[in-house]
Amino acid sequence: MKSVVIAGYARSPFAFAHKGELTKVRPDDLLARVFAALVERTGLKTDDIEDVIVGCSFPEGEQGLNVARSIAFLAKLPQTAAATTVNRYCGSSMQSIHQAAGAIQMGAGEVFLCGGVESMTRVPIMGFNPMPNPALKESYPEAYCSMGITAENVARKYAISRAEQEALAVASHAKAAEAQAAGRMADEIVGIQTPAGLIDKDGCIRPGTNADSLSGLKPAFTADGTVTAGTSSPLTDGAAAVLVTTEEYARANGLPILAKIRSVAVAGCAPELMGLGPVPATRKALARAGLSINDIDIIEINEAFSSQAIACMRDLDIDPSRINPDGGALALGHPLGATGARITGKAAALLKREGKQFALATQCIGGGQGIATILEAV
Amino acid sequence: MKIERAAVIGAGVMGAGIAAHFANAGIPCVLLDIAAKEGADRSAIAKGAVAKLLKTDPAPLMHPRNAKLITPGNLEDDLNLLADVDWIVEAIVENPAIKADLYKRIDPVRKAGSVVSSNTSTIPLAVLTEGQGEQFRRDFLITHFFNPPRYMRLLEIVGGADTRADALAAIADVCDRRLGKGVVHCKDTPGFIANRIGVFWIQAAVNAAVDLGLTVEEADAVGGRPMGIPKTGIFGLMDLVGLDLMPHIAKSMSATLPTNDAYRGQMREHPVITRMIAEGYTGRKGKGGFYRINKAGGGKVKESVDLQTGEYAPSEKARLDSVSSAGRDLRKLCEHPDKGGLFARRVLAQTLAYAASLVPEIADSIVAVDEGMRLGYNWKQGPFELIDRLGTDWFAELCRSEGIPVPALVETAAGRPFYRVEGGKLQHLTTAGVYDTVVRPDGVLLLSDIKRAAGKPVWKNGSASLWDIGDGVLCVEFTSKMNAVDADIMAAYEKAMRLIGDGKGDWKALVIHNEADNFSVGANLGLALFALNIGLWPQIEEMVEGGQRTYRALKYAPFPVVAAPSGMALGGGCEILLHSDHVQAHAETYVGLVEVGVGLIPAWGGCTEMLARHQANPKAPRGPMPGIAKAFEIISTATVAKSAAEAKELLYFRATDGITMNRDRLLADAKAKALELAADYSAPEKSTSYVLPGPSAKAAMELAVEGFALQGKVTPHDTVVCAALAEVLSGGEEADISKPVGEDHILRLEREAFMGLVRTVGTIDRIEHMLLTGKPLRN
Repeated sequence: MKSVVIAGYARSPFAFAHKGELTKVRPDDLLARVFAALVERTGLKTDDIEDVIVGCSFPEGEQGLNVARSIAFLAKLPQTAAATTVNRYCGSSMQSIHQAAGAIQMGAGEVFLCGGVESMTRVPIMGFNPMPNPALKESYPEAYCSMGITAENVARKYAISRAEQEALAVASHAKAAEAQAAGRMADEIVGIQTPAGLIDKDGCIRPGTNADSLSGLKPAFTADGTVTAGTSSPLTDGAAAVLVTTEEYARANGLPILAKIRSVAVAGCAPELMGLGPVPATRKALARAGLSINDIDIIEINEAFSSQAIACMRDLDIDPSRINPDGGALALGHPLGATGARITGKAAALLKREGKQFALATQCIGGGQGIATILEAV
Repeated sequence: MKIERAAVIGAGVMGAGIAAHFANAGIPCVLLDIAAKEGADRSAIAKGAVAKLLKTDPAPLMHPRNAKLITPGNLEDDLNLLADVDWIVEAIVENPAIKADLYKRIDPVRKAGSVVSSNTSTIPLAVLTEGQGEQFRRDFLITHFFNPPRYMRLLEIVGGADTRADALAAIADVCDRRLGKGVVHCKDTPGFIANRIGVFWIQAAVNAAVDLGLTVEEADAVGGRPMGIPKTGIFGLMDLVGLDLMPHIAKSMSATLPTNDAYRGQMREHPVITRMIAEGYTGRKGKGGFYRINKAGGGKVKESVDLQTGEYAPSEKARLDSVSSAGRDLRKLCEHPDKGGLFARRVLAQTLAYAASLVPEIADSIVAVDEGMRLGYNWKQGPFELIDRLGTDWFAELCRSEGIPVPALVETAAGRPFYRVEGGKLQHLTTAGVYDTVVRPDGVLLLSDIKRAAGKPVWKNGSASLWDIGDGVLCVEFTSKMNAVDADIMAAYEKAMRLIGDGKGDWKALVIHNEADNFSVGANLGLALFALNIGLWPQIEEMVEGGQRTYRALKYAPFPVVAAPSGMALGGGCEILLHSDHVQAHAETYVGLVEVGVGLIPAWGGCTEMLARHQANPKAPRGPMPGIAKAFEIISTATVAKSAAEAKELLYFRATDGITMNRDRLLADAKAKALELAADYSAPEKSTSYVLPGPSAKAAMELAVEGFALQGKVTPHDTVVCAALAEVLSGGEEADISKPVGEDHILRLEREAFMGLVRTVGTIDRIEHMLLTGKPLRN
């Protein structure tokens, strides 16, 4: 096995869709700017790039036409670098990293620029032309279960109270606000030029979020439910990028190695309980790495919804205090295609920053899947 | 002179509202207020006012984007912005010294030849111009808007002795054509026309209600509808404008009115009202007014104040024999011996006599006074029209019996009416005692004038008339109750089509227009329910299919059809607009396909037309779904556009459809457009290419509805209606993106969906509930 490493991570600020600071920015421009900055920061020799792999959940409209190729051109990457767009919904950009690692392992290239983007302002969730298969809807309606309902289902199945869900959201905002105030996000964020000026701070974090401010919100998905807008990740615009290469290449070219990829996994689960996807995916990845959850020092678990994150922590036996040290998606936002690259890159960066040995990045995926990556310090 | 840019100084409710209305008219407007003393942004006050415009309901802006036409600023740093504007409206505090100071500050910076006007409601022009330079006095006048400026049609305009005639004319013209106001020329007297009479009327009515022992419900029941006054009546109106305003007005009026003015005799402080104001019961803006909604204990109980004790008690519907037995007969109401009759007598005698005594003091003619009260206080008829309803002789007698001096003008009338029709023309009595023809402003064409002149229509039936509006243009006027669409209206269209033929004979074009408050509230539900209850399914099917046939025939007729709506155009009344070649809409047109409210879907081609428009919308993303989804969203939520501008955005109107700001100019604009189209007319081509995904589109819409149902936003019967609508908009079972369908296919789906829904209990319950209560049933 080759040693595949993450040798760079950067992202745009994340901002509320429809009302945030990035609504006027095209998604291809957004990720192109992040790629360009990552190249500049790492000093990567772009002629060596084998492939540009971009994750996106709704690759149509401004995210269509193999957006990875457009982004590569916009980022002024050489024509010789190929480009592909991948879709595994919320797991898309973690998938882009897995794809790169797999290709490297089989000798199909050495340097991969991975990442993901989603403008949930400019391309609506479900896309512009949703046309579900009527026969599938009839025979297996769970296949099209909406995300909010899956969060309610998980909350009910695991008897996760509204207060417990809100406590996770409060903690997520507090950690993110603290990290932002202490300048711990600045390294990873690439400032984005918008018609209204330079945006270089996350826009979704609400410092001071507390139990009181959340308890007044109405249930968002069912009239008698427990999941609210406050315990769901917001619709978000954002992009993230990760440089994947071999340890050998990184050392030879002086790239800043953050971590190596120890194991990866994907797994399917019930679509109406899609939030549980991280459980089987993480178990597989741990088994492949020959590790147990207690060996993991840093855990980045995507907070698509409080309820599913809590359920996953219960099943995987993770203490909530161990996750997402700089806040999670409840506070930062969840631009679907970009989140996988963010949490994987963040986990790698945290390993390095904290001087720890093992990290886990995992997330749930609409339609009933999970994806997980285990990283190790080099 | 041309008015291209304007400015408003004073960003209070009136100033901001006037600025918003300039923006509605497409006139860029500077809005200045004093510089904020705190905070970094010195223009915060004006900016805050603009932000508030976007949140106020009813909306001062006809479209949110209009806010961009308003440039906020402050009087310290931004006076230079005035250098570019042609008209500056001052709408600051009613204090002559502060106004004079402001005028001195703006005079040196304003553009040469620009006009300055004050929105004062009480201060005479002579006082305002005192001590100002000669050029300023020449450029100065009063433009008095009513609140809210977008919705109230009256604009009182007052020129002074020094005011340039061309300035007065230019402002009157821009107010009329661009702002859509009914411009009434007034003399420079306190309260001008509407408030002078309106304030007297309110005071007289309150006094009479207290003295005669009427409850507020009773006073409003007599003083509202029976007198042709909005049903809010007097006390409801005071709740709306604020009880605390009355003492201010009384004070200001008493300072400026002639010493012998009759208002002085009416001025009176009522201890109950004084106490209400002191305790914060100032009306809807306060804790409550003469009426309030008591939400104590989680309930919602409408309560009214006892005028004698000041205590609230649950409102009781007024039961007065005078009101129920008099009907629309105003004289009978006044002759009735109960307290309602006594109240009507006293209020009408005092108010109308006061109004009659003020001509020519406040305006040159009775026409201006009537117009002022109609447009400024929403009276159906002005004071002189009301006197005509009573008869001038009878009214003189009424004055005598009430101990009021008979006004000179009533004496002059000597039994003759104030208005008469002579040679088809409306004439009014002058102060000289002779009749003059009522002259409409240049370019105004009123159907009522045409009708008066013609005497009888070209053709008519029980629900519609056809009128010759000149130059070969025929006009369909609805005459049914609330202009509900029924078989007779369809018959009128058919008759019009037969008369016009190929459009090459005597008739060239058709205009659909009427002067009622609402263009049409939709199909006649009462008739439909009757047929439903006795299971006349074939007749119902024929009603649907016949309507489709007629609307299609109008759409593809060999002559142009121009619709000219104002007010509400709902359901079947909206669908006729969708089938017209051109809509020339009054800016205040509220259009929507609201059928789902009664458990139905639009089936006179409304779905078909909305689908066509939204699928062809160049601004929407490509593919079959965005257009379907938008049409589904609009129809399934019964979205009603709150202005003609908004109707364009929803594609109820096309980009090419026209908007007329002044309702009185609507018919002329529509007729001109009809003639323009007739000059080289060819009917539209029949659309054959709807690309519809069928079941997969329906599945997508159903998924959306299921999500809303789980959120509790969709009722069980909504789900049934939405499924029927989704069936139509998706193209139905057989549709597929590989084989485009024609409009006949969708029209058939409309009929099938409609016939399916009318057989459901949920829909029948909704129709019954709507007919009984006027409100939609959420079953």
